[in-house]
Amino acid sequence: MTKSTKLVFFSPYALLLLTMAACSDRQEGAGGAAPPVAAQPAAQRNGEESQAMVLLRGLPTLGTAHSVAIVELDPDAANFGAILQEVELPNLTLPMHHLYYSPTGRLYSTGLDPKCSLAEVGLSRNAEGTAVINGVKCLDTGGQQTGEDIIWHSVNGKEYMFVTFMGGTGEADGGSVGVFDPQSNALTKVIQARKSVVAKGAPYILYPHGISAYQDRLVVSSTIHPDLATGVGNGITIIDLNTLEPIQNIVVEDAKPVGFPSSPVEVLFVRPSIVPGAAPAVLVNTMFGFETWKIPYNGAEKSFGAPVKAYDGVTAGTGVPLEFYGNATELFISHALPGIVKRYQLSSLPDLVPSGADIKAEAGAHHMIFYTTASGRKVIAIQSNLLNLGNAADGDPTDVDFIAKVNDHSITVHDLESGERLARVSFKERYKKGVENIEALFGSGFVHHH
Amino acid sequence: MGGCDRRRREATPLSGFSAPFVFGRFQVPADNPLTEEAVELGRRLFYDPRLSATGTVSCSTCHIQRLAFTDGRTTSVGVSGKPLAFNSMSLANLMWGPQHFFWNGRAATLEEQALIPIQHADEMAQDLGRLVVELAADAIYRELFETAYGETSPAAIARALASFERTLISSNSRYDQFLRGEITLDAKEELGRKLFMAHPDVKVSLRGANCIDCHSQFLTGGFSARYDGFSNNGLDDEEHLQPGLQAVTGNPAHRGLFKVPSLRNIALTGPYMHDGRFTTLEEVLEHYDRGIRNSSTLSPLIAEADNRGAAAEGRISLHLTAGEKTAIIAFLHTLTDQDFVTAERFSDPFTGK
Repeated sequence: MTKSTKLVFFSPYALLLLTMAACSDRQEGAGGAAPPVAAQPAAQRNGEESQAMVLLRGLPTLGTAHSVAIVELDPDAANFGAILQEVELPNLTLPMHHLYYSPTGRLYSTGLDPKCSLAEVGLSRNAEGTAVINGVKCLDTGGQQTGEDIIWHSVNGKEYMFVTFMGGTGEADGGSVGVFDPQSNALTKVIQARKSVVAKGAPYILYPHGISAYQDRLVVSSTIHPDLATGVGNGITIIDLNTLEPIQNIVVEDAKPVGFPSSPVEVLFVRPSIVPGAAPAVLVNTMFGFETWKIPYNGAEKSFGAPVKAYDGVTAGTGVPLEFYGNATELFISHALPGIVKRYQLSSLPDLVPSGADIKAEAGAHHMIFYTTASGRKVIAIQSNLLNLGNAADGDPTDVDFIAKVNDHSITVHDLESGERLARVSFKERYKKGVENIEALFGSGFVHHH
Repeated sequence: MGGCDRRRREATPLSGFSAPFVFGRFQVPADNPLTEEAVELGRRLFYDPRLSATGTVSCSTCHIQRLAFTDGRTTSVGVSGKPLAFNSMSLANLMWGPQHFFWNGRAATLEEQALIPIQHADEMAQDLGRLVVELAADAIYRELFETAYGETSPAAIARALASFERTLISSNSRYDQFLRGEITLDAKEELGRKLFMAHPDVKVSLRGANCIDCHSQFLTGGFSARYDGFSNNGLDDEEHLQPGLQAVTGNPAHRGLFKVPSLRNIALTGPYMHDGRFTTLEEVLEHYDRGIRNSSTLSPLIAEADNRGAAAEGRISLHLTAGEKTAIIAFLHTLTDQDFVTAERFSDPFTGK
């Protein structure tokens, strides 16, 4: 049998009458002229793999507004770094913060502005198939502020959306975990246990940011008060998902290289669904401790072991470890100072066994995505900005000396295998904005995050 | 045929179009963009029996809207009255599976597909030249063709039909509403959803019906890469394997492989399989549960899927419980989109039905 590629067979009669229209001028515009019907299979690849959703932060002295946007990040593309679509959010004083796709493909964003601490981003496609941002719908958080991270997790057969709010409901020792119905987005419960309110020695929740879960145990970190001045945490809180109550605090702190408490930021509950056969454990990055800690978990006894320092940034010459991201084979940890991403064998988790050389991004190396370019190259894009605050050099009142040094306002793209830098776009130089967060346009650009 | 105004009105880009983001990226051929006139023209052609030699059969004869654009027959019947080789395929969300149309993938594009049934001796048996003459004599068609494509031609007929078919978007089933967060599924539907999505894994006590392994694009029209989306789902043993995709590729490894169809509106599109051999969804589930016939090209994902451990009893079987099968069927019913099968914009423009 042979492949049939063109089955437009015309009879002689038809050949005489193929174009019976009286007017056969070539048409310009949407209709186009009518060349022969060709076998023209659609593209063999998803043309938007290299496009990313980003949250942009308007820089006050540069007169720009916060926004959510789609950008092209194929380093080979002529329009690399171009904003393909942007929806500005002029009513927000502070920007949206982190993007997450739900298991059913809905896009959410946490937010730093109390007017919009959590939102769902509306997306659709137009007649050309292009993604369209329809808007940002702010959700009722019950007064919880400074939305940070989101996870979806089942508790006794029912799924919930858990969101950390680093500012809680606004108190000096605030912080809460919002429990939402993942279908309706309705707030189901606020998990809150302020240190000043609970009994002395009782478990508390303080400035939660990172969040991760395994079975019926939820872990949140204790990072820093949103004003960066009132208080700093130094541990994690364990929450029993059967009762939705905090049951334990675990301190992860050692050297205090900058004189602050350790400020645990992101946490990752290493579990068999991420690494088959792995011994469950919680990994914790301490923003001001410069360390990564490992806390073993005994699922049978539902008990956590003593924290063990798995990585010491002071010794290694790195600072401000931030995110955990993974693909099918590796775990990546970003370090804002000097602006690198370290890589580890996924199969060796919870132990951190290096799998390759550091990827050199820029100061503030933070969030990342993984994708394949049009040419078939596997790459990693790294957003380098710690907190997106301004710079005194711009007369920006939000400047904090320490932080200004770790805000490159850029995304760099690197060959995933070699780490070679292929391209860089500075959002500050090109758009007068900072880049707050990055996520692949269609689905998460990573396999494991929390 | 002269004497016309040589300045032709430009076609109007399709307005008000919106497709769900979660269906993924789609691409419309650059030489056939979606326009109002092309879609209107395509709709008329789709429902026009003049596309057949006898003037009795239109595309809609075998693709009836209320049946999600299938015909309810084991295999379709055209102008010759002879049963055709294949069951009528549902037409929905075709933009997301833009290649290898028909059960054996014999049409590379939607445009190519559109002209095949028109010319097929048993389906519509129409001569394209004669058809062009007939349509060009109709003032409404003449205007639509002129605006949409600048000519009345077989190529324009193909493009117009493809354009209309691309707009057949189904996106308001209960499952779509679930994805948008508008509703929750009941317990049985949710169990069915989980079974549908899972490949059984005895080691971690994960029960699954193994559906998603082949039907990963179950909400849309198929696949867009190579010959992804063609599978031998165990309907026949080695001796009785039909050519399937091999008829197109010539590759013996493709013998018995047929296109994995969309499952959207599946409760409305029986009989099932390429030859319509199963009348009900229950029969389909029974096939996948304990009716798989082994052959050299059987999908390995089917061959080793067993909720009691692979090949535990020396035969291929999912070993689903009766309750699990009921739940899966309940989930499949959530894929029915009543808006789609009743939407006026997809209906017969000549009768409004």
